[in-house]
Formats: sequence, C-alpha cells, structure tokens
Amino acid sequence: MPLIPAIPHFGILSQEERLNRVRNILNRVHKFLNRVQSLFWAVCLSSALDAAAEDEKAIDFNRDIRPIISENCVHCHGPDPETRDAGLRLDTQAGAMEDLGGYQALVPHDLESSEMWYRIMLDADDDELMPPADSKRALTAEQKDLVRRWIESGGEYQEHWAFVAPEREAGHTIDHFIQKQADARQLTLAERAKASAQIRRASLDIIGLPPTPEELDDFLLAYSQDAEAAYASLVDRLLASPRFGERWARQWLDLARYADSNGFQADQLRDSWAYRDWVIDALNDNMPYDRFTIEQLAGDLLPDATLEQKIATGFHRTVTCNVEAGVHVEQNRTNQVVDRVNTTGTVWLGVTMECAQCHDHKYDPFTMREYYQMFAYFNNTPVEVSVPSGKTDVSHDFVGPFMDLPQSPELVAQREQIAAELKAVRAEKKKLDTKSAYTEWQQQMRAEPEWQTCQVQAFESTGGETSEVLADQSVLMKGKFSAITDYRATMTVETPQLARAIRLEVLTHDQLPGQGPGRGDETRTNFVLNELELEIDGQPVELVDAKASFSQNKYDVSGLIDGDISSGWAIAPEYRKDHWATFQLTEPVELSKDSQLQVVLRHAYKGGRTIGRFRVSVLDGIPKSSDMDAELLSILKKQKPSKSEQKKLRAAYEKSSPALAAMVKKEAQLDKKQKALKPDQTLVMQEMDEGRMTRIMKRGNYLDQGDEVQAGTPAVLPAIDPELPANRLGLAQWLVNGENPLVARVAVNRWWAEIFGRGIVATLEDFGTQSEPPTHPELLDWLAIELVESGWDMKHVLRHIFLSETYRQDSRVVDSQVDPPNHFLARAPRFRLEAERIRDNALAVSGLLSTKMHGRPIMPYQPDNIWRQVGRNEPKWIEAKDENRWRRGIYIVYRRAAPYPSMVNFDAPDRGACTVERPRTNTPLQALTMLNDPAYVEMALAFADRILTESDSPSVAARLHTAYRIAFSREALPAEIEHLSEVVAERVEHFTKDPTAAQKTIAGASRVYQAQHSDPAELAAWFYIGNILLNLDEMVTKS
Amino acid sequence: MSPQYKNYLSRRLFFQHTGFGLGGAALASVFDRESQAASADPLQKRGLHHQPKAEHIIYIHMVGAPSHLDLFDYKPELQKRSGQLCPDEFFAGKQLAFIREQPNLMGTPKDDKYAFKHCGQSGHQISNLMPHLQGVADELCFIKSLHTEQFNHAPAQLFSLTGFERFGRPSIGSWVSYGIGSHNRNLPDFVVLNSGQILGAGNSAWGSGFLPTVHQGIEFRSKGDPVLFLSNPDGMSDRERKSVVDSVNKLNSLQLDSIGDPEIATRISQYEMAYRMQSSVPELMDTSRESAATHERYGSEPGAASFANNCLLARRMVEKGVRFVQLFDQGWDHHNGVFNALPRKTQQVDQPIAALIKDLKERGLLDKTLVVWGAEFGRTPMAQGSSGTGEKLSSAGRDHHKEAYTVWMAGGGVKGGHSYGSSDELGYSAADKPVHIHDFNATIMHLLGIDHERLTFRYQGRQFRLTDVHGHVVQDVIT
Repeated sequence: MPLIPAIPHFGILSQEERLNRVRNILNRVHKFLNRVQSLFWAVCLSSALDAAAEDEKAIDFNRDIRPIISENCVHCHGPDPETRDAGLRLDTQAGAMEDLGGYQALVPHDLESSEMWYRIMLDADDDELMPPADSKRALTAEQKDLVRRWIESGGEYQEHWAFVAPEREAGHTIDHFIQKQADARQLTLAERAKASAQIRRASLDIIGLPPTPEELDDFLLAYSQDAEAAYASLVDRLLASPRFGERWARQWLDLARYADSNGFQADQLRDSWAYRDWVIDALNDNMPYDRFTIEQLAGDLLPDATLEQKIATGFHRTVTCNVEAGVHVEQNRTNQVVDRVNTTGTVWLGVTMECAQCHDHKYDPFTMREYYQMFAYFNNTPVEVSVPSGKTDVSHDFVGPFMDLPQSPELVAQREQIAAELKAVRAEKKKLDTKSAYTEWQQQMRAEPEWQTCQVQAFESTGGETSEVLADQSVLMKGKFSAITDYRATMTVETPQLARAIRLEVLTHDQLPGQGPGRGDETRTNFVLNELELEIDGQPVELVDAKASFSQNKYDVSGLIDGDISSGWAIAPEYRKDHWATFQLTEPVELSKDSQLQVVLRHAYKGGRTIGRFRVSVLDGIPKSSDMDAELLSILKKQKPSKSEQKKLRAAYEKSSPALAAMVKKEAQLDKKQKALKPDQTLVMQEMDEGRMTRIMKRGNYLDQGDEVQAGTPAVLPAIDPELPANRLGLAQWLVNGENPLVARVAVNRWWAEIFGRGIVATLEDFGTQSEPPTHPELLDWLAIELVESGWDMKHVLRHIFLSETYRQDSRVVDSQVDPPNHFLARAPRFRLEAERIRDNALAVSGLLSTKMHGRPIMPYQPDNIWRQVGRNEPKWIEAKDENRWRRGIYIVYRRAAPYPSMVNFDAPDRGACTVERPRTNTPLQALTMLNDPAYVEMALAFADRILTESDSPSVAARLHTAYRIAFSREALPAEIEHLSEVVAERVEHFTKDPTAAQKTIAGASRVYQAQHSDPAELAAWFYIGNILLNLDEMVTKS
Repeated sequence: MSPQYKNYLSRRLFFQHTGFGLGGAALASVFDRESQAASADPLQKRGLHHQPKAEHIIYIHMVGAPSHLDLFDYKPELQKRSGQLCPDEFFAGKQLAFIREQPNLMGTPKDDKYAFKHCGQSGHQISNLMPHLQGVADELCFIKSLHTEQFNHAPAQLFSLTGFERFGRPSIGSWVSYGIGSHNRNLPDFVVLNSGQILGAGNSAWGSGFLPTVHQGIEFRSKGDPVLFLSNPDGMSDRERKSVVDSVNKLNSLQLDSIGDPEIATRISQYEMAYRMQSSVPELMDTSRESAATHERYGSEPGAASFANNCLLARRMVEKGVRFVQLFDQGWDHHNGVFNALPRKTQQVDQPIAALIKDLKERGLLDKTLVVWGAEFGRTPMAQGSSGTGEKLSSAGRDHHKEAYTVWMAGGGVKGGHSYGSSDELGYSAADKPVHIHDFNATIMHLLGIDHERLTFRYQGRQFRLTDVHGHVVQDVIT
C-alpha cells in the first residue's frame, strides 16, 4: 500500500488511520462485488437494448472509461493547471501514474494500490469520497465496475479517437458496416422501399422538392425495366439539378450563421446575400470541400483573388454586429473575432474552442494560449462599427469592408443615361446664373419679411380625426388617431399680395399628448410629415428651397417636397417646441381675396407620428432661416465682404434663388436616381495592411490583456507547415491538407445526419472527449477517407450514400425487439422535414413554386406587426405580390430579431450564432401554421385548382388519385378515397346550396393567387381537400 | 409489439403529456441524447429538485432600464451633492455608454412630486411617483445591490435573461419550461406579453437557445391573432375547422396503423391540441368578462394594447396554470429629461402592478406566484447632459449603469417588507451584499424548486446551465 503523503488536499494520516483505510477498502470491495453480482442478474434480465455494451469483452478506454473520467474527474484533475487540484491530472496516462509522494492514483493491474479506486469506493458521507459530494456528481455501480475492470486489465489510456487520423480497410461499402453492427444486435435490415417511395425520398433529400407526376411516371417505367440503372440515373439527375444547391445550402448557412440583419438593437438589414448565392452555386458546381473551405476562410488572400473568391469570404462577415448607441467599438470587434474563432472550430474541427477563451479547456486538450493563437489569425481585419461624427447618442454606423457587385449591361446603360442628364442639368444651371438675378436676390434678402397668415376656410383629413380652427387660424387635431393620414386645408388671404414663399408652422398645445407638436406619443412628441403639397386655384405649385427651424438626422425638411413619400421631416429630440418650415415658389403667384390655397400634409409613417397643430402663412420675399441667415444678413449689409464671406453668399444664393433652385432640385432628384442605381454590395473580409498584435485576454476580458502570442494551431492536431503563410490562408490550407483527423469526419458526419436524421457521431457539434461515441466508427472513417481521396468531392460521397441499400430500405417500423430509435438503421429513417423544405415542398405541390434563383432576399406573406423594434433605419416588411412570393425558403429575408414566423414554428434558428443541428419538434403551433397561415391557405387553394385542372377525369376518385400522386408520389388507398370522397360530397353539396359561402371561402384563401377553375362550389370543396392533404403527417415527413 | 417497444412508446407518450408542445419532445435526436446524458449522471435529472416556494412566476422587465435612483433607492447624499462634479473614480477608466466628459452628480429633485415616502410597516422608501406601489410596500422585497456585466441594452438584456451577453443561450423562461413544464397542457409553459416595441435583444430574449424549441416563450400578441395563425381562414367556421382536423387525424391514424411511427401519434394529439387552443386562447385573452371594478383597479380596457391589460392577462394566465409569464414594457431609457419622462412611464405601470399584486393576493395566488420586477441594468447617479443645481428641474438624463441597481420581488417565497443589500451613499456601486445577475437568477430558480446547478443541458460537449459556473442563491430574501 502506498504511504499517504502530507499534501494538503489529502491530509496527514497516522499509521493507524492507514490501516483502517485498508480494512475499509477490503470491506467495500467485498460489498461491491456482491452488488455487482446482483447487478449482473438485473442487467441480464433487463433488456437486450444494450447487448453490445454488456458483453464481457475487453474494456475500451475511449468507449468505457474516458466518458467517466471526463464527466466526473477532469473538471478538477484536468488539463487546466489553474484549476487543477492536488497537482493530479487524470486526463493523461502520465498524470494518472505520477508519483504523488509514494503512491499513485493509478497503478496498472493493481486495484488496491490505486488511490483512485479507493477514493471512488468510499461511503457517500466520507470527506475523501471522489467525486466529492459538493460536486453533485456520483459514479454508478456500473461505472465503478468498469473502472475496476479497466484497472485490473492494465489501466491503459488511449488517445481520444477523434484526434487520431482515420484508417480504413479497402474494399468495403457503406452497407457492410451497417450490416456488421446490425448483426451484432441481431437486427434484420428492412426490404427495399417501393420504387415510388424511393423517388420521393431521394428527391426530397437531394433537391428538397417532390417529384412531379411526370417524373414519377418516367421513373416507375424505367424502374420496371432496369431497377438499378433507373435508380442510379435518378440519383445522378437529382445531384446535377440546380435545386440541389438550394436545398443543401440551408445546412451550411445555419453553420455560417448567415442572416440579412445585424442582430441586437434595431437589427438593421445589410447586404450579404451574394454570399448566400455563392454557397448555392458552389454546392451546385460541386466545388471540392478543400477549395470551398479555403475560399470562405481566406478567398481574399488568394493570389489574384477573383470576385467570387472575395464574395466567399462573406462567411465570416455574417457574424452579428451591435451598432447600438453606446457600444464600444473595440468590444464589438473582439466579440466578432471570438465568434469567428469559435465558429471555425465548430464548423471544421467539431470542437468547442470557446471554453479556452477564459481558461485552459476543462476536457479537451486545448490551452488558453492556443485559443489566442487561433484568435491571432482572425485579428487583422478592420473594425465594423464607427461612431457617427460628432454624435454619441445615435446608433453607430455599420462599416467594415464591402465590395460592389457587377451590374447587368442594362443597368450600366441606365446609369450612364442618368449621368448624361445630370451633366445637362448642371450646364443649364450654369446658364441661368446671371449677374442681375444675383443682385435681385441680394435685394430681396435685405428686405424684412412680412408673413400673412392664411385664413382656414375648410379642413378635412383621411384618418378620421376631428379638428378645431383656433382664433389664431391654426388647426388643432383631435379625436381619433391614425398613423397614416392626409390633412387637407383650404385657405384664403385677407389682403391680396404676391406670394413668393410659404410657411408651415407646427405648434405645441396643452391638449396634445405631452404638449406636442406631434400627437403620436406623449414622451417622444415627434411628428413625421412625409409630403407637403400646395395648390393655388386648382393648380399645383412647385416648391423649392426648404428650410426649417430644426430637422432631425435623416429626416431633413427637404424630404417634404421631393415627391418621395418615404422621406420626410421630423424634429426629435426637439420636442415640446414650436417649429416651422418655409419654401419658395419657383414662380411667384399673385393672390387675390378669392384665391384658394390648398395645402395637403401627408403622413405615411407607420409608427404613427402625426402633426397635432399647424398654421400656414405666405410671404412676398425670401424667407430667412435661423442662424445661417442672420450671418448672411450681416454679410449683405457689408460694403466689402471678405472672400470667404462672398463664397458663403454664393452658396446660399445657389440654394435659394428661385431660378436656380429649380435646377438644384432637378439635380438632386437625378442624383438620388443615380444613387438608387448604384451597384449592390456584399460584405467581405479584408486584411489590414498592418496586423494587430494579439495578446491573451485574461478571463476573456478584452480590457485585461496578458502575454503576446503569434498565430498558431493547437498542438494536439498535426503541426502546421511552417512554409504556409501565418494568416487565414495558411490556417485554411492547414485545415484541408488531408492530414487533419477531424475535418473530413466532421463534414461527412453532418451530411449523414442531414440524410439519416442522426449523425454517426450523434453530437454533430462536438467530437471532443465529451462527445457521443460513434455508432459506426469504421463507417465514419470510411466516409471521411472517401471524401479526402476523391479530391474532397461532396457529391461523390453523397452518391455513395444515396445508392446504398441502407438508404433505400423501407421505413416502416416493424415490431422491433431492439433499437426502437433506430440508431443502427435496420430500417430507413422517417422524420419531419425542416422549415424550408416544408415550405418548398408545399409550394411545389400547390404548383405555385417559382424556381427563380439568386438575388436580394424576398419578403413573402407574413402577418402584420412581426417586425417592430426600435432604432435608426428600422427596416420595413413589404409583402411581395409577384413571383417572389412563391420562391424557395432559402431566399426569404433572415432578420435575426424576428425571423420568418412560420419557419420559427418549425424550429428555424435565429442565426445569431452558428447552429449545427436544428431540433425537430412536433407542436400544436406547427399544426396551426399548416392549418391557418394565410401562406399555406393560399397554397391549399392553388393545390385544389391544380387537382381540378390536371386530373384526366372529373370523377372524385380520379381527382383524388391525381392529388395523391402530386402530394405523396403514390396512389391513394381505398380507405383514403372512401373518406375523402365523403368529404368532397358533403362539401360540394354545402357550397352548391350556399354559393355565397363558396365565394367567401375562395376569397378568404386568395390573397394574390387567382384560381382558374370555373365552378366555385367545386373549387371551394376541393380547397378543403387541399387544406387536409397539406396537413397530413406524410406532407411534412420524409419517409 | 414487443414489451420494449411498448415501453419506448409509453415513455414517448409520457413526455407528450407533460406540457404544451412537449408532445413535441419528438426530439428524435435530443431525446436520445438526454436519456444518455441522464444515465451517465444519475443526479442530472430534470425537474423539481426541492419543494418549490412558488409555482408560477410573473416576470416584469422594464425595457430600457428605469432610474431606480429616483424610484426605490433613495440617496439623500446624492441630492445634497447634486450639481457637483462626480468623484474621479466614477468616471476615470470606467465604461459608460454615452457620457464622455466627467459628469456632475444629480440627485432626485427635492420637489414633493419626486419625494420618497416611508411606506407600510416595513418602512420601505418608495418614490411618490409610484403611489399605488407605496400601498403594497409590505409585499415587496427589494434587492438594492444588484449588478451586471453589460452596459448596452441588447447585450445586457441577453445577459440578464439568458446569462450570456451574446446570442445562442436559452432564456430563463425556457429553462424553467424545460425543467418543470406546466400545469396546463392547453397553454404554453412560457408566455410573453409586450407593451410597446420589441426590445433590442429581439425574440432571443425569450428564445430557447440550444434547448428544444418547444421551450421557447410564445408571444401572445395584443393586435391580430393572439397566437400566430390561431384564427381560421376567412369563410371557415369553427365547425368546418373541426371537420378538417378530424379528417386529418383520421387519415393520419391510417398511416400510423400501417407505418407504426410514434411520431404520427404525437402529431395527431398536437392537432387536437391546436384545435382546443383555437378556443382556449381567445377565451383567455378576452378580458371583457372581468368586472368593471377589476378593470378600474388595473386601469385596463378590454381589447386595448397596454401594459395594464398585460398585467390583468398575467393574472388570468397564472390562474389557468401557465408557469412563466414575462411582461416587457418599452420606454424606460431616459438619457435626457428623465424627470419629465419618468413620471409619464410610472403613471402607466404603477397602478396596474399594484393592482396585480393585490388581485393575486385576494385570490390566494400570491403565495404561489413569484412576481419579479427588473430591468437589464440601472441608471447612473451622474447626469447625462447639463444637470443644473437641483433648484430648477433638470433637463438632463441618466446614462446606463451596471455597477448597482435595484429590483424587487413579491409573493411566493420571498420576504415581503424586506430589503437586501445596498448601494453606496451616492448610489454608484453595490456596497453591502452585492448580488450578481447569476445570483439573482439562481434565486429565482430556487424559489421555483430548481437547483440552478443541477438543471443542465448537454451541448457542445459540456453541461450548460443558466448561471454558467456561477451563482449563489440569496437565501436572505427567502421565507
């Protein structure tokens, strides 16, 4: 027996105590063996489920012991020296056998000398028990028995399997490995599925869409002639379809946390959809996985990088970005780099680097230093938020490298056209600029303005408000509040005069919420006025030279007269004050007492900020604005203005001379058009000329920096070639050099899970020591090596899988003795499709699907009021009424704070962080979505229309067969026909009797779609069939 | 069917009947992983770990962060030194969201409108801006030494509600749903009610992170369908909807017979539940049958979208067995004009919150319902903008403040009339018995019968929990 040393953790023991301990051990071993014996019988009786594990074959360290040590010991006796207790480390052989002063935790073959064994066998109330009671962990009897057998058989450690390069024997196929594991569990593999089931399954899996009835017929015919050739050519056809990339991009974009918005406060949209298209195209082109990797991580660093290679680097620009006012730029940047390191670790290595951000990893062999070595690779890109100059109280600007995308020749031509017009306008402007006009303007500017208040004769508004004309001729709004409303005031003047300018005053009042001048909110008493229009005696009058008491950032008063309803004038934060805006008429108008001025004030801001009180007046002269004009006046009064003063005067003239201002306005409009036509952009990675120095951040805190580190890769993995550049490109090349034991395994495992619903390693996101052991380790390695040896050919590996007998099995659950959850694949998996495939499949079945590819994100139907967040540049949902409404789910705009709600109900993530695997739930909200979401209701109507159009015969049975072939690629069964025929009969009768109900039903379902079928009673009845079929389990399930 | 398979199915059915949507725990993959994790560590069972003090929770989050210094944490010394330059250590080297120049201290105005009053037997000092709350002071248990780690809204909201400042972690409500489910399987475990715009953290504030999505909060909306897609298409009656659901289930049963996949059985029961929800949810949301006296007390109005209505709805949900009701109220981010803005907001929330507490008490629900009032952080004792001298009402505001702030709890298991911890005399940092967000969350979980260290979920190779590796239950606030 070892002597107990005097180290604090273990305490000092006398000889007597030592002897007691020995007695204790013997007692316990005896008790334990008794327990093991009864346990043995219990296990024998319990179930055959764990047949393999119970078998008395040799202990496998990785399978049997590592999980126990990782879970229970390594937290305090692991790789992290900071938290290591008693200087003991149990994650390595050397650590476990280290001399702790005359004794060791582990002595091979010697149970009694192994301190570890003694400690785990102590009573629950013993202070020395391991794991200690306060850890809230405890070993089960089975686990203790495994430890006993392991120590007795030599206590040998093995390296964690995932960190050792895969190996394989030549000559086997996927089916061989599945058969082998099935045999070990006395499982009999299922028969092949029916041909119709095979084509539906393969179509949904490979392209994410069901076969058309024509494709089904062609396949069944070919299959009856030569099943193998027909099936192989089906798989090849599907793999070559452009729909393939759209279906498989979803998984990758979850990993890439691709979204169209920043995340966090306000969650504004940004453009990186070109990256989404790049992924779709790369998958369609079967870009080798090594190149796929390199271009996304470091496409910008490749020599002579192409446009596409730069777009690919959008992978790491998809990271979230907080532009919230008050954000510290460096903190935001650090968070982004952290995300890039962690995501890279998860996606390519299947390990969780982030534990090592604050301390050495507790379980896996990654040190904190290594974490920051990885960090160094990503630490050399520019910051991505900046504080708008001179402003601390508004959201920051979203900056960082982006790139223009090429444009079509038509767009280029349009842009050139506008450039030419702009040039002409500028020339014209120059011509108008005469000396006499300038002098006249100066004289007018010197005159004192005398505003005449207009008398309100009539007032109306479209929002249903009431109003009161006050004694001062201002209009006070009352009663109902509507966000979208037009005010229309008809007015006259008491004294005839020439009108050169008009003024709108927006006034406060005690009766307004928070005193106004807006009436939408009592705290933020803002208003947003979008357009101001003036007519005199029925003639529209053009206005220029907008000036205001104050304009809110991005809501300049000039927005009132630009003809664009989306721009407008607002005054935050200058609440609870009177405001004014003035405009010049391009042509002065003579007003008589009978002249009718009509002023229209348009409010179009959905947030609801309307004017509470206003008044209008006119002027024969040039209106003065505030500070600027005071200065101008003083210049005008000077005999000899200085050069800089003259310059100021000129600038003011160009802006406000009626003659010139019209040209200025035209120029601005063209300028705006030109901007609207500017090329689309996409976010890219870009290395700074000079990189940053990377330092370890203590406890992960960016303000608490420690030692400097250089870029480098973790020691547990094969070393990086020193010839490779020490940047992202070198890192990417190292990942896919074929020697990394993780990269290929992690990739093929994800593809396997996408097809079979569960990975060979169930923890797709973690291949570390805490991962689930693979169900078919040899198969995993076979696939991984196949991937590398085929030149990283994804479609080649997928083709192997799709052609396997394992994949082609029937999915019916036969009365299974073992393996109810089907981990060992003695039948084909059957599981619910993910959100995008549910939508795409239903669109295809309804016949509405548009296969238009690429481009800006789409906005199909979505309920109102989903997008409502505060902040600058808040995006708006504009429901598509064209074919964009019916495009595939992959193109729907992904806004992190509020993703597309029907997809959320089917477990779509918010893409705020890398998602390796989506949950697969089954909830009443999903039922409500399929039953009632107007998008699916519209599809049900279109599906009904399609059935009625495509069926060869008008008989109900024929129509039902058509429906089933479209929806499920099979004939309807007699019981199904019987039930649905009854439904049809009842519904047709009902709608024939009540044609209004039929009309109402059809109208209720068609938001945009217009059905073709001419008999409303029939159409309404079959809408019910459409609604029923779209809700069947089979519709949302891959079988 | 073999006994093993039957056993498997019945376990599945067990999960199916433990809560709304949990039928969902269809979790082919998640389910397996959970059961394996559980067998590896027998102590890591989900669910109740001890006798709960409260069965329900109504968690009121004031989005934007109210000025606790002007509501609950009275600082006479700050009033005295109002207008003086703040001590160097309040500014130098500190992270502040907006303040960029050394600011002045700013106390609560001395005007009676803003004065603090000793209330009830407990003598809690509560601002006159919350007169109704003053009336229930003895029910409240304050924590005046809470501190957090984030000083911008969205990260701080994520931090306080998910224990992590970035995206991807489950919210406290989803942890509770995951841990202890609900009493009513016709309603979600975790319901969210918003007044005003959605907070910056977005849906992630009630998201389920890596937990199964059945545990995420379900927003009940005050405009349109209370639950998305609840109402039938125009022209389809309730009876007609029922016949569609019956047909769907009949055809699905045929499939179940021939295929034998238990997932189909789950789907059938979920369609039944969806149909039941189509009447149970609108019933729940319809407050028109509440008495006029009740509406008067809350300041609510049937059909309106308001915080007052949400308080009343919260009580109705608790009555129906909803486990976790979360209220978010937007509009508390008073960077300027705090003394004008704060009264406008307190006027909206004071009466309904007090009404909720009284109403719960009268119905015998307060003992088993934990009411929490909190925010993502507090506000600075320093002025943002020019602070004036205290004679004239300042137009300045207060910046975000993470070092110390005040929250309160009431009801199930907490000591009414008690106050725990304190900030320093100027309200800058947590001086006595600091409570970290992780401690606060651990305490909430504890009151609900959950040991925050034992409710874990295995993800990416480690056991994750709401409180990361931190958190101590604040025993002193518990009865």
